[in-house]
Amino acid sequence: MALPLPPGLTPPEVAFLCEMELVTVIPRQRLDGLELLGGPTPPLTPPLRANLPLWLALLLKRQRRCNILAPPWLHPASLTSILETETEHSKAAFSPAPKLPPKSLSSSSQLTLSPPFLPSSTADSRADALPFHWMEMGELLLSGAADDIADADLVRRLLRDLREVRMAKVRAGVEVLDAGGGVQMNGVGGMEVAEGRAFIGGVVDGLRRIGASREQVKREREAEERERGLANTADDDYDAMDL
Amino acid sequence: MSSYYDIDAILTDAQKVLCTFELTVPGLGYIDGNEGGDMKQGTKVELPLWLGEMLAVSQNISSSPLITLDLPTALAPRVLNALKADPRTVDLRALAPHFYALSARMLELFEDDELVEVLTETFKARSASIADQAHNPRGALGDGADFLRGLDENERQLFRAAHDSSKAVKAWMADLKKG
Repeated sequence: MALPLPPGLTPPEVAFLCEMELVTVIPRQRLDGLELLGGPTPPLTPPLRANLPLWLALLLKRQRRCNILAPPWLHPASLTSILETETEHSKAAFSPAPKLPPKSLSSSSQLTLSPPFLPSSTADSRADALPFHWMEMGELLLSGAADDIADADLVRRLLRDLREVRMAKVRAGVEVLDAGGGVQMNGVGGMEVAEGRAFIGGVVDGLRRIGASREQVKREREAEERERGLANTADDDYDAMDL
Repeated sequence: MSSYYDIDAILTDAQKVLCTFELTVPGLGYIDGNEGGDMKQGTKVELPLWLGEMLAVSQNISSSPLITLDLPTALAPRVLNALKADPRTVDLRALAPHFYALSARMLELFEDDELVEVLTETFKARSASIADQAHNPRGALGDGADFLRGLDENERQLFRAAHDSSKAVKAWMADLKKG
């Protein structure tokens, strides 16, 4: 029995993962720290900024208990410059993901943080790069906290433009695909992966099926060569096996 | 190999390929419309792939194979030249509803690097068009209609996949606005 859902994540699932990202809020009310499964939240004291998970921030925002500080990359100016990079400077590649912070020597813990666990949408994140969850974060903030975003309509339009430009690139990547090869997907966001997965997977599958016979021939030839090579260098191989 | 119950694989096997009889078979003339007669040596008939493959591959130790297979008309040089010229304008569905699956099966029997090359390039070029059409909301009605009608079964599934995933994202966005 086939699973009703296609492989990979559906858009609501990607958005759910995005809600774990930290955002910066300015609380309007005092709130003690909460012991959540994802770790304790900082206590909220009105004029001081704090980082909360997106879902909690949106909940408090809906109850008018806080304001959300939009991440720097969600400002119209940074989005415009990113869009320009996408369309003018790197026509083939995606704009790069935010750089990893330099590894601090003091925290010698064995935990190395990588993108999903790095705050990429807080107030002190970088303004010139789109994080992994850019599309989901942008849409969620625009729908839940539009009044906290400078020039929300322009931001909405820029996000739409970015999405179009980048999806066109994902599709153009299909032309350079190969049965065994890959396509450069650095900097592609979570929602874009979810959207492109079914199609790109289908194309690779089709190419593999067409090239299957050639692949078979190649494999046979390689096996043959390996056998011949084995016969020639039998002694060396026995040595290697002893090791 | 595809699954035993895969309906696409079954339909692929039912497609006709060109076969030439190497022996005269008494009483088999009805296949060629010659009721009660014999199947003459050298007669060309179109047989389903599953039958043609069986007869061509299985052979007695002493004799030559009963029939020889040829490439189906869907993979004739004329078609390949058209695909080389412009992959997008060829109506693959009219040639064979399971064009790529049929080609893959034929490539298991024949080794033909040029055919692999042409088919790979065709598939890539057409996939890119399919993606564009799937994201264009009016693509299926406007000038893309002819192209979409000519997609083979595999390409139709691709179109559906691309269309469904972009629809899912749009539905999520619309959901977000509602509540």
